[in-house]
Amino acid sequence: MGEYKLLTKDFGATDLQTLKGYEKTGGYQGLRDAFKNFTPETLIAEVKASNIRGRGGAGFPTGMKWSFLPKDVFPRYLCCNADESEPGCFKDRYLIDQSPHQLVEGLLIASYALQVNTSFIYIRGEYHDQRLLLERSVEDARAAGYIGKNILGSGFDCDVIVHGGAGAYICGEETALIESLEGLRGQPRLKPPFPAVKGLYGQPTVVNNVETLCNLPHIVQRGGEWFKSLGTEKSAGTRVFCASGHINRPGNYEMQLGTPIRELLEEECGGMWKGRSLKAFQPGGGSMQVLLPQHIDLPLDMNAVQEAGSSLGAGAMIFMDETTCLVDVSMRLVDFYRHESCGKCVPCREGTYFESELMHRLEAGLATRAELASLADICSNMDGRCFCPLGDTATWFVMSAYKSFREEFEAHCGAGRCPVRAQVTALVA
Amino acid sequence: MAETGTPPEQVDDGRVGLSIDGRELRVPKGTLVLDAATEAGIHIPIYCAHPKMDPVAVCRMCLVNIEKFPKPQPACATVAGDGMVVRTDLPEVTKLREGMLEFLLLNHPLDCPVCDRGGECDLQDFTFRYGPGISRFPITEKVHFKKAVQLSDLIELDQERCILCWRCVRYYDEITGEKEIVLQQRGVDTLVSTFNDQQLTSKFQGNLPEVCPVGALTHRKYRFVSRPWDLQRTASVCPECSYGCNINVDSRDFEVRRFASRDNPLVDDMWLCDRGRYSFDRWNSSERVRRPMLRSDDEARDISVNEAITQAARRLKEISDEYGADSIAVLGSSASTNEELFLLERLARQVIGTPHIDHQLDPFDGISAAEHELGIAEIEECDTLVVLGTEPEEQAPVLTLRLYKAERKHNARVIRLNGDVSGTDAAEAAKGAIRIGLIADETNRENAAAVAGKLASVGSVRRLTITRGMNGRGAKDLGVLPNVGPAYAPAAKVGKNGRQILEALAKGELRGLLILGPNPALEAAGDLLERAVKAAACVVAIDTRPGVVSRHATVLIPGHAVFEKAGSVTNVEGRVQRIRAGLPPASATPTETRVLTTLANEMGAEGWGSGDPLAVNRAMRDALAAYAAAGNGGRALFSAAAVS
Repeated sequence: MGEYKLLTKDFGATDLQTLKGYEKTGGYQGLRDAFKNFTPETLIAEVKASNIRGRGGAGFPTGMKWSFLPKDVFPRYLCCNADESEPGCFKDRYLIDQSPHQLVEGLLIASYALQVNTSFIYIRGEYHDQRLLLERSVEDARAAGYIGKNILGSGFDCDVIVHGGAGAYICGEETALIESLEGLRGQPRLKPPFPAVKGLYGQPTVVNNVETLCNLPHIVQRGGEWFKSLGTEKSAGTRVFCASGHINRPGNYEMQLGTPIRELLEEECGGMWKGRSLKAFQPGGGSMQVLLPQHIDLPLDMNAVQEAGSSLGAGAMIFMDETTCLVDVSMRLVDFYRHESCGKCVPCREGTYFESELMHRLEAGLATRAELASLADICSNMDGRCFCPLGDTATWFVMSAYKSFREEFEAHCGAGRCPVRAQVTALVA
Repeated sequence: MAETGTPPEQVDDGRVGLSIDGRELRVPKGTLVLDAATEAGIHIPIYCAHPKMDPVAVCRMCLVNIEKFPKPQPACATVAGDGMVVRTDLPEVTKLREGMLEFLLLNHPLDCPVCDRGGECDLQDFTFRYGPGISRFPITEKVHFKKAVQLSDLIELDQERCILCWRCVRYYDEITGEKEIVLQQRGVDTLVSTFNDQQLTSKFQGNLPEVCPVGALTHRKYRFVSRPWDLQRTASVCPECSYGCNINVDSRDFEVRRFASRDNPLVDDMWLCDRGRYSFDRWNSSERVRRPMLRSDDEARDISVNEAITQAARRLKEISDEYGADSIAVLGSSASTNEELFLLERLARQVIGTPHIDHQLDPFDGISAAEHELGIAEIEECDTLVVLGTEPEEQAPVLTLRLYKAERKHNARVIRLNGDVSGTDAAEAAKGAIRIGLIADETNRENAAAVAGKLASVGSVRRLTITRGMNGRGAKDLGVLPNVGPAYAPAAKVGKNGRQILEALAKGELRGLLILGPNPALEAAGDLLERAVKAAACVVAIDTRPGVVSRHATVLIPGHAVFEKAGSVTNVEGRVQRIRAGLPPASATPTETRVLTTLANEMGAEGWGSGDPLAVNRAMRDALAAYAAAGNGGRALFSAAAVS
C-alpha cells in the first residue's frame, strides 16, 4: 500500500515528452508486446483479467465495456476522453504533460484490441498546450511508424486524431463528447442506443479515460494477473489522486488503491495547512458527496468510499479546514453546474438556476427557513429526474453538506451575513 | 399441468402485455409507453414528445414509475416491454410533475393575458391540471430574453415564453430537413433562434406555431386576433390545391381567422404549406355575387332565384331547339364539389344533350386511371421516387414533406429530374430501383407516361399525377371532360375542350354556355374568355365572384363559396373527403346542387329529387362504384385499363 509509481514511474526524466526520451524508458514496448503476444481477443481477455476499472468517474470495468461491442460491425471508433473538467481534477493534464506518448501507446493498444482503425483524443478546450503537445506526439509517433498503415509490421492500421473541445464540462459525458466530436452541439444523447452499439457516426464506439488508457502498456507488459495483485480485490491497480484544498503539499499522487486516505493526507500531502484541523473533504471531484473527518481512515477503494456515501469519482481529493463555510462551498459548486448545464433537460437547466439563486441568498444570510426547506425539495425534484448525470450530481454535494452540516445551513437563515465567515473574521482579528 | 401453476403458453402475436395504472393491455412490440397509455385512456402530459418526431426526452414531464427501474422513466422514450408495470398515479409521479412545472414556470413570463396561445397552451393547461398551485421562488427577477422577435413576415418568436422543448428545431431537422432554427447558448441562457438572426425562408413555417406547445412561436397573421374559445371550428379540406390537406377552418364573426391542421396521416401527415394555410383571408373577401340577375342587352335587373332558374331553362331550351343541343357548351370547375360536378355532367350530357363539356382550358388526351395509381402514403413504400419537373412540388408543396419523410425514415432515393427528361435518362438515373414512384403534374403528364414506360424496365412503377385545382381529380373522375364520361368511360361523342369551346363561342359557332364557377383555370384564357361570353347568345352562370363571366352573364345565379356548403372533394390520389359549411353563404340563395337540380327539372329531367347535397352524394355513389367503395375518406380507384 501507499504511494506506488506505475504510470508516473519515469515522470521527471529528461525528454520524457519526446519520442526518443519515452523510448529510452522502454516506451512503445507495450505496443510491440501487444502485437507479438496477443491477438485482439486474448488482449481483451487480458484486460478483463486485470480487473481494471474506468478511471473517468463511474468506475465501470474496462474489459466488460469493451466486450459490449457488437461483433463484426465495422468501422468502430475509440475515443479517449481527455475532457477533464471536473472541479478538483487535474490528473489527466499531468499524465499528458509529463508523458504524452504513454497515452498514445495506450490508445494504440486499445485500438488494436478493439480493431479500431481511427481513434480520437477529445481534449478539453482549455488544455491548449496539452493539445499542441499531443498533436506533436502523434506526428512523431506517426513518423516513427507507430501510427498509420501496417504498424510495426503487424498488419494493423490505425490513425489517431486529436480533437480540441470548445470548453464545455458536459462534453466529458461520453454521448455529449460524441456529439461534440461530430461537430454538433455538446449535449448528451438519448440512450439507448448506447455508444457501444451506436456511437460516433452511428458506429460502435468505446470512450475511455486518459488514465485508463495509460495503464494499458503496463498491463500488456506485466500481465493482467500482476496488475490485479496491486490494489484491492474490487479496485485493482493504482490511481493518480489530485489532492487540493487546505493542505501543505497539493498535487498529483499516484497511490496504490486500498491505501487509507489518512496516508495520502498526512504522508504525501503533508497534512492540513497552518496546523488547522480537517472539517470535511470531498473525494472524486465537484460532483461527489462530502465526507467527514471520521471517514479519513477509509481505504482508497471505490467500493469502500461508495459505501460511505460518496465516490472516488475521477480521483480528486479536496480537503477543507475548519474555517470553511460549507454553504459557501455548496454555492460555488452549484454556480459551476448552473454555468455548465447544457440546457437540454428542464430539471437541470432550471433546477441548477433555482438552486444557485437560493444558495446565493442563503450564503448572504437572506434566505428564510422555508426557502432552505424548498432547497432540499428542489434537489429531490432534480436528482434522478435529469437527462444525464450532470443534473443529478448537481444536487449531491449540496444535499450531503446539508445533511452533515444542517446546523450551519440553518444558522445562515435570516442571519444577514455568513455566520461562519463572521466567526473566522473574529478569530483572525 | 394446471396444478403446477404453469401459465398458459403465450402465443407470439407480435404484441407485448403491460399494465398501466392497473389496466392491462397488449400493444404491438416497439410501442412507446406514452402511446400505450394513450391507448389505455390514461393521460400523460408531454411537451417535447411529438407524434411525428423522434423522442428526445428532454422536458421530463412524462416521467412515470416503472417497476424494477431504479429511477422514473420518460414514457415518451421507453419502449413497452412484456410484463412491464407502469404507474402514473403514484404520489411520487404527482410530485415530480409538480416539480417539473415549477421549473418550467421559473423563467416563464406568465404573460398569458396578452399571449395569443392563452386558452390552447399546454403550459397553461398542464399547470392547471398537474401544477403545484403556488410559487415558492423567492427571486423576483427572472432571466429575460427578447420578446416579439420577427423570424419572418409570417412567424413571431417570443424567446421568454419558450420552454425549450426543441420541437421547432426538430421540426426543421426531421420534417422539412431545412434546419432553419437552432439553439444558442447553454444552461438557463439557452434560447431558440435562427442562425445569425437570418429570416426564415421555408415554405412550411406555418406549422411552427402548431408544433410549439406554448406561445413562443405565433402566427403574425393571427396576432391578437382571437381567443380560441371565440372561434368556431369546422372540419374541412384546404382549397388551395388538389393535395387535399385536412384543415380546421377557424372562424369568428363569420370571418375565417385561420386554418389549423387536422392530422390525416394518409394525406397531410398534419403539415400544411404556407400557401394553403395563409390563404384563409381570401375567403373573407366582400367581393361576392350576392343577387340573381337577368341581363338583356345592356340592362341588368335583379330577379328572384326561381325566376332566374326558369329564365335559364327557357333560354337554354330555346337555343337547343333552334340550333341544336350541341350548340350549347357546359363548363364546370375544379373548385366545385363532386356533387355539383356529378349533376353538371348529367345535365350536360343527359338533359341538354351536348358533348361539349370541360372544366379546364387545355386538352387532357389519353387520360388513364394508371396515372393516379400511387397513393400519397404509398410514397413511403417506394424505394425510389422520380419527380418530373418542379411543378408537382410547386402545385402541392406538402408533397415535399412526404418525399423527405420517405428519404429520412425509409431511406428512399428521391430523384428530381427535368420535366422533359427522356425516358432513357430517367431509367439511367433510377438504376437499381425496385419499387418506383413516378410523380408528375398535369403539364408533364404526357412525358410521364413515356418515362413510366422506360422505368418499367428498371422496376415496378406507380404513377401519381398532381391535378390542378382543389377538385381537379373529382372533375376528371366524374367525367367533366370532353373525351371521357364518369369513371373514365369513353364519351359516346367527343366534344370540344375548354379552349375550343371559348373559341367556338367567340366565333359564333356555339351559342349557349352554362358555366359553374368560380373557375380560376378559365381566367388564364384572358381576353378569349371575355370575347366568348360577350359573343354568346346566352350565358347562364352560377358564380361566387364578380368578374368577366358575371359581368356578361345573361342569367346570373350566386354560388356558395367552398366553406359555405357541404359536399365532397377528391384529392390527387382519389381520396374522397367531406367539406362542411362553416360560414353563412354570402347570398340567401340555394346551394349549387339545388340550383342545378331545379334547372334540370325545369328542362324536363325526371327523378332528380330535391338536390339536397347528401341525396346527390348517395346518387353519385350509386352511379360510380369507385365512389361507393371510397365512401368518406377512402380512395376512389378506377381500373388502370380505362383509357379514352
